[in-house]
Amino acid sequence: MEKLLKELQHAELHRQTRRHFLQSAGFGLGALGLGSLLGSCGSSKAGEVAGASESLAGSGIPQFAPKAKRVIYIHMAGAPSQLELFDYKPELVKYHGKDCPAEFLEGKKFAFIQGVPKMLGPQGKFAQYGQSGAWLSDYLPYLQTVADEITFLKAMHTDQFNHAPAQLLLHTGSPRLGRPSLGAWAVYGLGSENRNLPGFIVLASGGRQPDAGKSVYGSGFLPSVYQGVQCRTGGDPVLYVTDPNGMNRNIRKKTIDAINEINRQTYEEVQDPEILTRISQYEMAFRMQMSVPEVMDVAKEPQFILDMYGVKAGEGSFGMNCLLARKLIENDVRFVQLFDWGWDGHGTNATDNVEGGLRSKCQISDKPIAALIKDLKMRGLLEETLVVFGAEFGRTPMQENRNGVVMPYMGRDHHLEAYTMWMAGGGVKRGYSHGETDELGYYGAKDRVHVHDLQATILHLMGFDHEKFTYPFQGRNFRLTDTEGKVVKQVIA
Amino acid sequence: MLIPLLQASPWALFIGRFHPVLVHLPIGFLLIAALIEIGRRTGKISVSESTVVFVLFWSAVSATFACIAGYLLSLGGGYDEDLLGAHMWKGIGVAVFAWVAWLVKSDRLAGKLSFGKAVYLPAFAVAVVLTMTAGHDGGSLTHGDGYLTQYTPEPFRSLAGMDPIEEKAKEIKPITDIQQAVVYKDIVQPILEARCTQCHNASKKKGDLRMDELALLMKGGENGPAFVAGKGAESDMIKRCLLDESDDNHMPPKGKPQLSTEQIALLSWWIDQGAPAEKKVSELTVPDQLKPALASLGGGPAAGGSATGGSAGNAKQKESAIATLKVTPAKEADIQALRKAGLIVNTLSQDQNLLEVSAVNAPKFSDKDIALLLPVAEQVTWLKLGSTQITDNGLKEIAKLKNLTKLHLEHTGVTDQGIAQIKGLPHLEYLNIIDTKIGDAGLKNIVALKGLRSIYVWQSAVTDSAVAQTARQTPGLQIVNGFSEAEVAQFLKAGDSTATKPVAASKK
Repeated sequence: MEKLLKELQHAELHRQTRRHFLQSAGFGLGALGLGSLLGSCGSSKAGEVAGASESLAGSGIPQFAPKAKRVIYIHMAGAPSQLELFDYKPELVKYHGKDCPAEFLEGKKFAFIQGVPKMLGPQGKFAQYGQSGAWLSDYLPYLQTVADEITFLKAMHTDQFNHAPAQLLLHTGSPRLGRPSLGAWAVYGLGSENRNLPGFIVLASGGRQPDAGKSVYGSGFLPSVYQGVQCRTGGDPVLYVTDPNGMNRNIRKKTIDAINEINRQTYEEVQDPEILTRISQYEMAFRMQMSVPEVMDVAKEPQFILDMYGVKAGEGSFGMNCLLARKLIENDVRFVQLFDWGWDGHGTNATDNVEGGLRSKCQISDKPIAALIKDLKMRGLLEETLVVFGAEFGRTPMQENRNGVVMPYMGRDHHLEAYTMWMAGGGVKRGYSHGETDELGYYGAKDRVHVHDLQATILHLMGFDHEKFTYPFQGRNFRLTDTEGKVVKQVIA
Repeated sequence: MLIPLLQASPWALFIGRFHPVLVHLPIGFLLIAALIEIGRRTGKISVSESTVVFVLFWSAVSATFACIAGYLLSLGGGYDEDLLGAHMWKGIGVAVFAWVAWLVKSDRLAGKLSFGKAVYLPAFAVAVVLTMTAGHDGGSLTHGDGYLTQYTPEPFRSLAGMDPIEEKAKEIKPITDIQQAVVYKDIVQPILEARCTQCHNASKKKGDLRMDELALLMKGGENGPAFVAGKGAESDMIKRCLLDESDDNHMPPKGKPQLSTEQIALLSWWIDQGAPAEKKVSELTVPDQLKPALASLGGGPAAGGSATGGSAGNAKQKESAIATLKVTPAKEADIQALRKAGLIVNTLSQDQNLLEVSAVNAPKFSDKDIALLLPVAEQVTWLKLGSTQITDNGLKEIAKLKNLTKLHLEHTGVTDQGIAQIKGLPHLEYLNIIDTKIGDAGLKNIVALKGLRSIYVWQSAVTDSAVAQTARQTPGLQIVNGFSEAEVAQFLKAGDSTATKPVAASKK
């Protein structure tokens, strides 16, 4: 009860501050949008929106100096097989085609595997690369060239074996809807820098959105200014952001001013902070009309850069998203989230499998990812930008036998016990591998890292103690890692 | 009661450790007594003789206690015997002569001793001289021989006939080719020198163990051999490193710089391999788990011209200055003034008060606005002025931001003249001069900065050969250039063949 009263009090303060701020905002609505959306205008960038309550005052200032100022998070939706790409298991070759040992199956539930499946040997050819001797397969010929920049997390594990809940758990800390995503927390904590661009931008490729939908980059209970703004990869980056024929920028400005004025009056009446978000989004959209086409225009990029990413101006693709991510980071966008769909290699058809299907997905993505790392590095951006690569879970060392039938292609089921992710730049070690799986790659055998641990580590790199970085909602303080998570100190340089 | 005290009991050591505290009392007292005596005798000050005698009395008392404590401390062992003996007798001498000087002037004896007057000054003088030499010996015992004059500057250095300053290998230098490195000389010894030999050397010999030479390390100390060749896990030196830091037997002692996990693994591996003196890495079996640790020794700069080429893993970098800098908070009004000019000002972390200032939203920011930064000169540690209108004149002012660790000057008009202005920034670690007019001369000026860790020079006037030269000459500095066409072509070729090319194995 006391907590509820306190929250009520906070809400009250929140409104008063807001009203006060509005009244004193004599220099126009533009500043209003800025004040709430961007860290550039007030010392309490987060506090500004979230209210002036004491418990929040500090949340805008990191607990320690950030090593990663910005993040590019590459999520391969569907979950690629770590056993074909990163986690070299020579022992699994010997077990290829043999029945899965009973101890791997007892009391376990899989998304599709039934009965006793056969073990499936690695399909890639592995070798060690770089001075660090990182194991990588021939699926990733380009990543090999940047192996010494990377920290691998070889024993990741999660709690969920279906795509949507696992993606939610990874990005929001909970398998259920309603929590803010990592990017939203990051912008809430550190604020946004470039006033003409959103602090959290999402780019998707592969023809489909992630299974968990927009919630994986939503703002949950944080004010919705912190949600990820999705931009399109080809054509107009943001739909309807350009002026329609016959409407010039001045008319657009007047329209927005008028709409905002009405919104402002409504806000005075009903005090819903979401109205402020709406006002600031209009302001932002107006500025984005100018800035976004400029940033998203790759026509000015030299040809060799386009070649490195393997992209053509005007064509949307995963590679293009990597290039755009670099451009956005270069323009001080805080968090860029990439999703690529189509990595769910069950073996059910010619594309969803861990042989040719996975190879062709790698052919599309491997070069631009390596190019992104090299490109960030030569611009002096890599050391302050954290690049994260991974998926919601991994894949089983067993071949999938959906409905007890052998699949037409080599495929693996969803696996939550052990999989690989990697990070580069932003204060993590270079050329390092953390954690090991057992001989067959089923369980993490050493230095396991739960998704909550990963979240804690990413927040730590951004300067936040994940246990102190909270937001009060419905009577209690929420944090990204909920009640768990341990920073993986070993991977920090 | 004294007998147990005189053995190396906890009590003895407890009191003994107060020796360094007590010892400064007689030093101070004696010198002040001597000063007063001189002042009195030359007529500069007017004090009675009893003042001097009073101070002398306390000099003698404190010297006596310092001697006792010193003796108890020496029971702990681990000191160079000769030096210890000299120190002890000189210390006792200080006490004795101080007592003598006091006695001949004290109320009871002053009148009775005819030779009193003749003895007083010599005894006093001897005590003072002995204080200094004993003090010096004590310093040598604690810090090692030659500590005092280790950094004697030129020209006095050559005048005194000393060898040129030898940079102590505190931080381990990167190894260019790990496979060819001699395990003991290039890997093990540098670790021992960085973490162990400070106490286990010829003059200090803690626990009667010397770790500065392989033969002596094999011999071991009072607790037996330091390692058992072939059995890393059972070796005393490894076990001690692995003990909890709070454990009394843990080494290096609590509070001293500790070995990293990788370093312990490397030492243990070397012992496992039979602790060879001459063998190279390539001649020994390297388990997979050890490879990252080995690779971490390589961490040099990126090879010239390439963004990633050559740079192997990272030798554990020393902590950024950011971790330790702490300043007083900037004035809110000064911060607001910066924000008004369109700059982003963020506090870097909660308790250090350091500021990050970025002009990303202020492309018009120019030299005349630089003055806004001066009130927060102490606080600004990250400064991003990329794509602004700042020029060389502005850099003159930026040189005043003493706590700057990160400076972005990319896409600006700064030149060699400008960059020369900031070569005095003590903490600068990151410098981005991409797309500027800065050339080789400017680069040369700036890489002299001790703290500099990374510098980005793509599209500047810096030449490839200067990049390569800098990379060679300044290990620990990462100099990164953009791609040449050849490098892009080579990168694009990576995917051409599906055959695997294991780089690690084929590298000579």
